[in-house]
Amino acid sequence: MRFTDLAQVVSENLLAHRLRAALTIIGITIGIAAVIAVVAIGQGGQAVIISQLESQGSSRYFEVTVDVMRGEAPTSDTFRLQDATLIKELSPAVERMAPLSYASMIDVRRPHSGGKPLLSQLYGTTPDLIYALNMKVEKGRFLSNIDVDAHARVAVLDAELAKELFPDTDPLGKQIFIQDVAATVIGVMQKPPSSILSMMNQTVYLPITFAQEILNSRVIFQLCGVAVSKEALPQAIEDSLKIIRKRHPASGVHYVGNSMEQQLSVVSKVTSVMTLIIGAIAGIALLVGGVGVMNIMLVAVTERTREIGLLMALGARRKDILQQFLFEAVALCLIGGALGVIIGAGGAVAVALLAHWPPLISFWTILLAFGFSACVGLFFGLYPASRAAALSPAEALRQL
Amino acid sequence: MIRVVDLKKTYGSGAAAVTALAGVTLEIKTGEFVAVMGPSGSGKSTFLSLLGCLERPSGGAYYLDGRDVGSFDEEELAELRNRKFGFVFQSFNLLPRYDILRNVELPMIYAGLPRRERRERAAKLLEMVGLQHRLKHKPPELSGGEQQRVAIARALANDPQVVFADEPTGNLDTRSSHEIMGIFKEMHRSGRTIVLVTHEPDIARYAGRILYFRDGSLIREEAVEDEVH
Repeated sequence: MRFTDLAQVVSENLLAHRLRAALTIIGITIGIAAVIAVVAIGQGGQAVIISQLESQGSSRYFEVTVDVMRGEAPTSDTFRLQDATLIKELSPAVERMAPLSYASMIDVRRPHSGGKPLLSQLYGTTPDLIYALNMKVEKGRFLSNIDVDAHARVAVLDAELAKELFPDTDPLGKQIFIQDVAATVIGVMQKPPSSILSMMNQTVYLPITFAQEILNSRVIFQLCGVAVSKEALPQAIEDSLKIIRKRHPASGVHYVGNSMEQQLSVVSKVTSVMTLIIGAIAGIALLVGGVGVMNIMLVAVTERTREIGLLMALGARRKDILQQFLFEAVALCLIGGALGVIIGAGGAVAVALLAHWPPLISFWTILLAFGFSACVGLFFGLYPASRAAALSPAEALRQL
Repeated sequence: MIRVVDLKKTYGSGAAAVTALAGVTLEIKTGEFVAVMGPSGSGKSTFLSLLGCLERPSGGAYYLDGRDVGSFDEEELAELRNRKFGFVFQSFNLLPRYDILRNVELPMIYAGLPRRERRERAAKLLEMVGLQHRLKHKPPELSGGEQQRVAIARALANDPQVVFADEPTGNLDTRSSHEIMGIFKEMHRSGRTIVLVTHEPDIARYAGRILYFRDGSLIREEAVEDEVH
């Protein structure tokens, strides 16, 4: 039998049972589309999370905290204001170091506004934070060392908070009340390029000395540092920890140091596992579709046993019959696969556009999905086809 | 020439075994027209499907032109059915979704003939059985007699040596039956061997020799004196 004849016979047979073929194709399409969309969305999301985390801080960023995994929390003795300055002076691996005190649900409002207070986050820190978190100043200036030393009552707003407080005026030089303490706005930060971490927005930055007065607390949450180079990160962390431990021998907490690199690898590990799990679930959908193909092929063979007997009587070899049914199954799977790739990729692109993600559809995913659907066709087509071809023509002709 | 020696066929096994053919020995010469008669269950159809290699015998030997068919593998049997044999069935066995031209083409597809050659030959065969004006019709649109003529054209597609017919007139009225038998007669005249199973005596009289089967055995054979021409 010639290949063109085989192709013609297969297409004629599929067209003769349009509805059945269409239903089978839908099964495969859904499976493939699910796999491709899930993997693409997962990879896109992962890329976005990582790139946003990267933009969130310098790649040389590291931080020193207490071991929150053990349920530890910093007290007023855990870190001292001088620790940051000292580490920077003592360790050649550390380029910048900023202490950070933090509070949320802070009442920030304009004088005489009378309206609802804006509940914001408060960061008390030193000038070095801007380098650690890769922040940029939009207007005015960031905090200075003089501000910190003088306990200056000044504040820097992030873009979100500035817009909320001063929708139509320039905030620079204006007075605001933070927990009923007056402060002057000296700067506005640029909107960060990332959107996924936007919950970190609506923040007011104060000199740490001023923040401690407002909060009436000396607790410093962590130290945010920048190493002189990526290679110096481990050294920077080690030096920082050594100095901190030496300065706080009586402290009951465990100090830990984390680099951005470590955080990124954890995040990418987590998202990879998530993608794998959801992909596996989508794979089950694909398997169900494959069983559907086998079902259809079994029905087709049983229903057409007499026809198979006739074709063998007319001189069709077992190989011809086998080929024919196998090709029917593979054709169903490949058509379903192609549709699935289109729909899955379309879905992934749509989600990517909505979420402002880069659409990440890898060639390998498509190849895998396509290869898998062809295999499903081969595998689930083989059994019914070989059953059909094993009959003798007389047996097959006697059926029904 | 067809020669069978003690040809047997048993279905099932053990206590449930049914003997369809109990051991038949006979010869059919090349170019002969033979009718096989007998009551239902006499084994005549089984005999035909063994001769046509539609199934394998349980015992005995089958020689076609001196070659032992029992030693053929599936591939060789398929080729035999394709090139040397033609089949005509009582229920026509046409594929209803194809037009009759394509139905006649089928054996040539499996013979690997190119498309143009196939279509030409199929059209010529259909013209020979008087259906040249119906090429694009599908089988259900034709009468029983016309469908059987399509089946005959299909049987002749690869110019076979032997045509096996299992009650070809069983589903036809008297007039169509004799028209069909006229075509068989013509095939015979052109030198083909014909083995025809029937239970109608006046149809059997188209053949030159009649074999009578009963309970799986050949019980009698007779030469037809006043053969229908």
